[in-house]
Amino acid sequence: MHTKSSVKLRPCWWDGLVVAAVLLLSGAVFFFFYLSNGSGSGDLTAVITHRGEEIGRVDLTALTSEETITVEGTYDLTIVLSSDGAQVISATCPTQDCVHTGKISRAGQSIVCLPEQVVVQLVGAKNGVDAVIG
Amino acid sequence: MKRIFAILLAAGMLFSLTACGSSSYTADIFAMDTVMKLTANGANAQAGVEAAVKEINRLESQLSNTIASSEISQLNAGGSGTVSEETAQLLSAALTYAQKTEGAFDMTIAPVVSAWGITTDTPRVPSADEISALLQLVGSQHITVSGTSVTLDAGCAIDLGGIAKGYASDRIAAVFAENGVTSGVVSLGGNVYACGMKDKKTGWRVAIQDPRDSANYAAVVTLSNQFAVTSGGYQRYFTAEDGTVYQHIIDPATGYPVKGDLTSVTIIGTNGTMCDAYSTALYVMGKEKAIAYWASHSDEFGLVLITTDGQVLYTPDLEGNLESVEGSSYAYQVIG
Repeated sequence: MHTKSSVKLRPCWWDGLVVAAVLLLSGAVFFFFYLSNGSGSGDLTAVITHRGEEIGRVDLTALTSEETITVEGTYDLTIVLSSDGAQVISATCPTQDCVHTGKISRAGQSIVCLPEQVVVQLVGAKNGVDAVIG
Repeated sequence: MKRIFAILLAAGMLFSLTACGSSSYTADIFAMDTVMKLTANGANAQAGVEAAVKEINRLESQLSNTIASSEISQLNAGGSGTVSEETAQLLSAALTYAQKTEGAFDMTIAPVVSAWGITTDTPRVPSADEISALLQLVGSQHITVSGTSVTLDAGCAIDLGGIAKGYASDRIAAVFAENGVTSGVVSLGGNVYACGMKDKKTGWRVAIQDPRDSANYAAVVTLSNQFAVTSGGYQRYFTAEDGTVYQHIIDPATGYPVKGDLTSVTIIGTNGTMCDAYSTALYVMGKEKAIAYWASHSDEFGLVLITTDGQVLYTPDLEGNLESVEGSSYAYQVIG
């Protein structure tokens, strides 16, 4: 019977290279997905949609002064964004639910204008909630 | 060569594992007079969500009382008719909840709701005489369901707004299951369905909005394979010319908007239709009656009440799954 006469068990520098490469790749993959997942990480961001189309995405934590966004349609809305939240300050819609909602400041919260189909939603990692009811 | 192969294999495994964990699909839609967000995880996420959206649209066209061609609108217009088996079963369920809650939930409130028009373009305060006359049309005795044949008394009408979204969430649970979706969260206005777990270790964290501070939550509950429905009057309301604020949930016993000691009621259970009906009913009942009702039905659902005097009251089954909010001014207390 023929058997191999010797087996090399001691690690060599090639083995070290494999370990280093795997660790490097693990780190790279982790940071790529951790940093690129917009809704699951990062700072508080307001996402504004009008009739299903995204019309604005603003990083609120980067704001140094208030920013006003006006939505025009059958009804007009004025949205004020600041570093600590978002609010519809005026609207010409009949029910005024969006104005009544008041200021929102936590990721997961949203302001909805049903007649004009406008949604102002806050996203970010700090909330840790998956849905808001109320 | 073997070592290079090992490096490539390790890299491939890492990428495949990451892709596995991040497969998620979300749809945002306007339907049933609210905005809805449906999210599913896993390989069947997109198919599951798309099938659920189709189901919501189907139900809206069948159960809406603002779409003229719906079964409910046809019934309201004609006073009688034959409906689908599904609609007949939902009407029977609504009658059962009306009976169990002694009319605190009542789909025949529609004529009074229309008179107020609080969620419409033209809200108004009806006269006391008008409300008194319309209350004569309210009550389960005015609707007869026999098989798929339904009859309403003259002048009566039904509104499934207090139960249709809950039923839709039950149907979404079934559609997700049919499509192999085992993880997801669906928000239909004030109705949430938490499908399975968010990941291997954690359930879905659902925040209950603080009724007196739009910027905050009052509590966070962790759910898995459960439904949660909140009713409150603090967002949908109108202010009359004399400055009086009228919120949108009408008490079927008085014909006037509820002016109770609760600002929001959240029902948590394993049946979305039931949770929806009970959230409205217990909000109408007020704190004392709501707690008494839960005490005699504690095997059916869990409860979170937020009171006008700053309390968050919750049932013992939620202990460990309900978190208070840091810095909150509410007093948190277990019921019972």
